[in-house]
Amino acid sequence: MHLEFVDYLIIGLYFVFVLGIGVFIKKKVKTSSDFLMSGRSIPMWITSLAFISANLGAQEVLGMAASGAKYGIMTSHFYWLGAIPAMVFLGIFMMPFYYGSKARSVPEYLAKRFDEKTRGFNAFTFAIMTIFSSGISLYALALLFQIILGWKFEFSIFLASGIVLIYTFLGGLTSAVYNEVLQFFLIVLGIAPLVYIGLHQVGGWNGVVERLPDAMTHTWKYMGSAADNPMGVDVWQMAMGLGFVLSFGYWCTDFLVVQRAMVTRNMRSARNTPIVAAFPKMLMPFIVIVPGLIAITLVNMHGSGYVIPAQNGVTNYNLVLPSLLNRFYPSGILGVGMTALFASFMSGMAGNVTAFNTVLTYDIYQSYFQPNKSDKHYLNVGRLATVFGILASIGTAYLAKGFNNIMDFLQLVFGFVNAPLFATFFLGMFWKRSTGHGAFFGLVGGTAAAALTYNITMAEGKGGGIANLHTFSSTMAQSFMVAIVAFTTCFVLTILISLFTKPHPKEKLVGLVYSLTPRPKAEKAVWYKRPVVLGIIVLALTAVLNLIFL
Amino acid sequence: MKNILDLRFVIGLFFLLVGLFLLITSFVVIPSGDKTEVVNRWSGIVYMIFGGIMLVLWRFGGDEAVREDEL
Repeated sequence: MHLEFVDYLIIGLYFVFVLGIGVFIKKKVKTSSDFLMSGRSIPMWITSLAFISANLGAQEVLGMAASGAKYGIMTSHFYWLGAIPAMVFLGIFMMPFYYGSKARSVPEYLAKRFDEKTRGFNAFTFAIMTIFSSGISLYALALLFQIILGWKFEFSIFLASGIVLIYTFLGGLTSAVYNEVLQFFLIVLGIAPLVYIGLHQVGGWNGVVERLPDAMTHTWKYMGSAADNPMGVDVWQMAMGLGFVLSFGYWCTDFLVVQRAMVTRNMRSARNTPIVAAFPKMLMPFIVIVPGLIAITLVNMHGSGYVIPAQNGVTNYNLVLPSLLNRFYPSGILGVGMTALFASFMSGMAGNVTAFNTVLTYDIYQSYFQPNKSDKHYLNVGRLATVFGILASIGTAYLAKGFNNIMDFLQLVFGFVNAPLFATFFLGMFWKRSTGHGAFFGLVGGTAAAALTYNITMAEGKGGGIANLHTFSSTMAQSFMVAIVAFTTCFVLTILISLFTKPHPKEKLVGLVYSLTPRPKAEKAVWYKRPVVLGIIVLALTAVLNLIFL
Repeated sequence: MKNILDLRFVIGLFFLLVGLFLLITSFVVIPSGDKTEVVNRWSGIVYMIFGGIMLVLWRFGGDEAVREDEL
C-alpha cells in the first residue's frame, strides 16, 4: 500500500483536530472531577456516541471484519443477541444504581454495596486489564502499519501513544470523550464507502448469498447443531454464553464503557445513554462485519484476483479490512480509511487510559494510600496516572512484541476475570441479602472455576493444561462454556456464602439495591425521552434485523 | 460568537475540510484498476454535506454548554 500527499494531508489534519480538542479543553479543567469525570456535564448525545466509540477500538474494527470473513453474518450475534439487549438492560435497570449512588466508578459502587475487599479486587484487576488492553491495541497498531505501510514499529508506537498522551493529559476524560465522538464519525463515514463499493462489485447482497455457503449468510438457521455452522457453537451456548454472560458481563459492568454514561448531566441522560447508543450500535455490523463477507465473496469470485493476505503461509484475517481499503480506495479516500484505522486504535487506547486513571486515582490511591488530600493533589495524581498508563501501555506493547503468545494468554485471563462479574453485580443490585463476603469469594471462586474449566477442556489445540475431559469444536465454543461455568459458580457461591454471613442493614442499601430504591421519575417525560419506551423500540428493531437475516 | 468548543462545530469543520480535499483530489488524481475518482468525488460531497449540517446545527441549534433543562 502506498500513500500520496493528500492521504498524509488528511491524516495530519486529523491529528491537528485531535490535539486541538485537548488544548482547548485544558482551559476548562480545574478540578479532579473535571479531569477524571468531566464534571458530570457532558450532553447525552455525546456520551451515547462515546459509549459505543470507546468499544470501537482496533480489536472491534479489524476483528469483526476478520470474523465476518471466517464465520459470516453469524458474527452479528455479538451485536443483535449480545450487545443490544445488554445495553438496554444497563440503561433501564442498572444505571439508576451506578448514577444514583453517586459512585465515581464501578469499583466504588462495589465498595458502597459490598465492602472494600470486593472493590479492591475489581479495581486492581480492572487497572491491570486496561493497561494490557491498551498495550495490545498499541502493539496491533504498530504491527499493522509496519505490514501495510512499512512504517517502523517504534515510529507507530510513539506517534500514536504521544498523541493520545497529549490530548488525555491536557483535557482528561472530556478530551477523550470528545475525540471518541469524532473518531466514531470518522470510522463510520470512512468505512461506509468501502461497503458500498464492495457490495456493488460482488453484485449486491444477492451476489454474496449466491457465492457463499448458506451457513455464512444466516444468523439462526444453522444454530441447531454446533457441527452445522462455521462458529462451531449451538443455540444454547450462543444464547447463554455470548448473549447473556459475556455480553451482559462486559456492557453492564466494564467501567471503560459504563464510565461514559456516568459522566452525563442527570439521571435520565445516564439511563438513556446506553439505550440511545444501541440505535447506531445495531447498525454497526453493516460497517464492521459486512466487509469480511465481501472479502470472502471476492475470494470465491472467479477472476476477481483477490486473496486475503497471508503471513508465514497462514491466512491473516486481520488484514481483510486493510486489504480491501487498498483494493478499492484511491488516494484521498484511502487517507480517510487509514485515518479511520488510526482513530480506532487511538480511541481504544484513550478509552482504556482514561478509565485506568480514574480507577487508579479514586479507587486505589485515594482509598488505600492518601485518603485526605486536597482536590488539586488528586488532579495532579490523575495527570500522573495518565502518563503512567501510557508508559505502561508502551511497555506492554513491547512485551507483546517479544512474546507472541502473550496476547492469547491475556485475552484468556480477561475472560476468567470478566465472566463472573455480572453475577456479582446482578445479585448486588437485585438481591438485598447478598453480602460482601459472598461477593468477594464468589468472584474469586468464579475466576478459579473459569481457569479450571479451560484447563480440563480443549479446542483447536488450546487448553487442556491439566487434562482433556472434553473437546470443543471451536475455541469460541470453549470460551462461551468457560464463561457459563464462571458465571454459574460465582452466582451459586455468592448466594450460599451470603446466606451464612451477616447482611448489610437495609438503611445502608437504599439507592444501591432495586427493592429498596424508589423508582426513577423519568416516566413523566415525553415518550421519546423515556428509557423504557426507547428500550422497547430498540429491542423490536433488533428483533426485525434478526428476522431479516434469520 | 458561538462556542467553538461545541463538538458540532469541531466535527462539522473537520468533515467540511476533508470533503473539500477529496473533491479537489477527484479532479486531480487519476486512479487505476478497480479504483475510481468517482469514490473521491461522491465521498467528498457526502462529507461536505454532513459537515455543513453539523455546522448549521452548531450555528442555529441550542447551546449545548448551557442546556440544563433536563436537570
